[in-house]
Amino acid sequence: MPGHRKIIHIDMDAFYASVEQRDNPELVGKAIVVGGSPEGRGGVVATASYEARKYGVRSAMPSKTALRLCPHVIFIRPRFAAYKEVSTRIREIFGRYTDLIEPLSLDEAYLDVTEDKLQIGSAMEIAKQIRQAIRDELNLTASAGVSINKFVAKIASDMNKPDGLTFIGPSNIEHFMETLPVEKFHGVGKVTAEKMKAMGLHHGADLKKLTLEDMMDRFGKSGRFYYNIVRGIDDREVQPYRETKSLGAEDTFAEDLTTIDEMNVELDKIAKTVYDRLQRYQLKGRTITVKIKYHDFKIITRSQSFPYLVGDIETLSSTAKILLATSGIENVRIRLLGISLSNFDVAEPKGKRDRPGQLSLFEGL
Amino acid sequence: MRFIVTSTALLKNLQQISGVISANTVLSVLEDFLFDLQGNTLTLTATDLETMMRVQMDVNEAQGDGRICIPSKILMDYLKNLPDQPITFTISEQDLSIEMSSEVGKYRIGGEKADDFPKEPAPVDTTSFTMPSIALIESINKSLFAVSTDTLRPAMTGVFFELAQDSITFVSTDAHRLVQFRRSDINCPVQEGFVVPKKPLQQLRATLPADDTQLQLSYNNSHLFVTSTRLSLSCRLIDARFPDYKAVIPTDNPYRLTVSRVDFLSALRRVNIFANKTTNQVVLDINGNTLQLSAQDIDFSYEGKETLSCQYSGEDMKIAFNARLMIELVNNIEGAEINVELSTPTRAGIFRPVETTENEDVLMLLMPLMVGV
Repeated sequence: MPGHRKIIHIDMDAFYASVEQRDNPELVGKAIVVGGSPEGRGGVVATASYEARKYGVRSAMPSKTALRLCPHVIFIRPRFAAYKEVSTRIREIFGRYTDLIEPLSLDEAYLDVTEDKLQIGSAMEIAKQIRQAIRDELNLTASAGVSINKFVAKIASDMNKPDGLTFIGPSNIEHFMETLPVEKFHGVGKVTAEKMKAMGLHHGADLKKLTLEDMMDRFGKSGRFYYNIVRGIDDREVQPYRETKSLGAEDTFAEDLTTIDEMNVELDKIAKTVYDRLQRYQLKGRTITVKIKYHDFKIITRSQSFPYLVGDIETLSSTAKILLATSGIENVRIRLLGISLSNFDVAEPKGKRDRPGQLSLFEGL
Repeated sequence: MRFIVTSTALLKNLQQISGVISANTVLSVLEDFLFDLQGNTLTLTATDLETMMRVQMDVNEAQGDGRICIPSKILMDYLKNLPDQPITFTISEQDLSIEMSSEVGKYRIGGEKADDFPKEPAPVDTTSFTMPSIALIESINKSLFAVSTDTLRPAMTGVFFELAQDSITFVSTDAHRLVQFRRSDINCPVQEGFVVPKKPLQQLRATLPADDTQLQLSYNNSHLFVTSTRLSLSCRLIDARFPDYKAVIPTDNPYRLTVSRVDFLSALRRVNIFANKTTNQVVLDINGNTLQLSAQDIDFSYEGKETLSCQYSGEDMKIAFNARLMIELVNNIEGAEINVELSTPTRAGIFRPVETTENEDVLMLLMPLMVGV
């Protein structure tokens, strides 16, 4: 497939339920629901096993409805920590084959295997090996779709679920899209599908007859997306998720700074910018770093860590000033200054969320 | 500079201070030990910028005073893999080279400039008092477990040292429980208080001698300095006001339950196995002189019940606690029996040892759980 990307979409089969069945052999072959119990106000279904799906039990359905549809269904409380751990192992398997992994959730990811890290030769073979590794090492099954873009790969992975592998290559992609019912188009919800059908648009082929202007008239911005998709064009890249590790701002000066007063004025301005950005993302961190670039382009950084979270403008600017002052500022010419905050604590603060019903001292604090 | 030292003695001293070094530091010099040789005395220092620890040891055949930073990991790894024997350190401050020769080999590592090592905070405007090392260790043991990990309430992430002319009180709380441990055998010059973070206290507990060695504690408004004969620690204090803890300790809990500590603890451990894993809720149902502990997890149809005999003066009542927190708390009380002082199912229970130790007063408080009693 010269010139084409090789994209795999992997989706674990009934992930939470499968993990529960794997970890508790008594549940194998039984209709189970992972989610809230139907008692009291009642929870919702997070995942239903395939045995439960036969009775019409679906994700996001109230647990009470699930119980009505399938009276012998077994409700299991979710163990998110366990799923997360399995998910990490799955990603580790993906990582052997490619560095371009875009996780969509704990149980679903896009992989771009165009580069073929292990020189396996074909994307189908890679998908096969990944599925085999998941089966051998984790005792779970996954379905995979292989194609030249994310849109088609995702639809393909859903075609032979569970435990399926589907390939839609560049030569049959147009035909595939033409015969695809509009409601199967990822991103087309119930409402849009109804709207399309009312216009006599039932399959990809119907959409293909419309011009780009027509599509945009009828469906707004999404029109362009549908227009391209139905022609097998989807250029969205597989974007590896990057955690925000630091946040900062810097400024290069038209003229080198030479006095401490000038530098402090600039640090105040930069601190303000950093503070505004932190506000936007609601972040606090433990480490403040100052970056200094001298007239000879030599760059140094100096950091200070705190035992608690900081993020207020006062701490940012005063710490930055101290760090700058202690870096040695006699007879220097500074071209650039920057301040950044890192070491974010994204974990939920321990408290009431963790301990339902636990009464607290210092309620007013 | 040059000196000879036995490998195990050096390792032992480095291990006393190495706990201070953070696993991931921003500055490479923070991964180093500072070696400072003056005469025959070698001072070793480690820091994470918040806490600084130093230890002194004697060395042999010292030549030339000097200072250098030596990477901690490679040095400790080397020493750990060496049978006990003398090592000769030959250090050049000029080219920052460190040569270590033993009977069997010769190793070389590169160091960093001593001037890059963070300076110890100056002990200016300090107030001082003394206490035996063992007393500080015990006080840390009693209070540290209840410290909060909630960084949104920084004051509660450390132990509050509350000084008075005739006593010192150590207070810790995570808003669900509170420990107040008072020693009346210590005299402090001024009535005031400061909050010490967890890490330096853990370090002190791990390294101070468990004997009557007198420690000097000095503090100013930003730092605490603890000095023993060979070992010293300085740390930044938590810059936040400790909550008004006295206001939340009930003074009028009229009911008193007395129970064997060991029996209560082991029953609690068993019953907790059957409790809901999120709440760890265990219900104490006190009825005359019987105490019933019960727990259940509806989701899994788990249920557990156990009955203990106790002495109780008060109205029959049911009160629920987080068993995990209660186990930790009762575990940190000494003696054969404990008293639990109660008032209503939604107010704090106060736990104390029945037998009291001279000059010590310990009070532990636990807030109940409100659900499903």
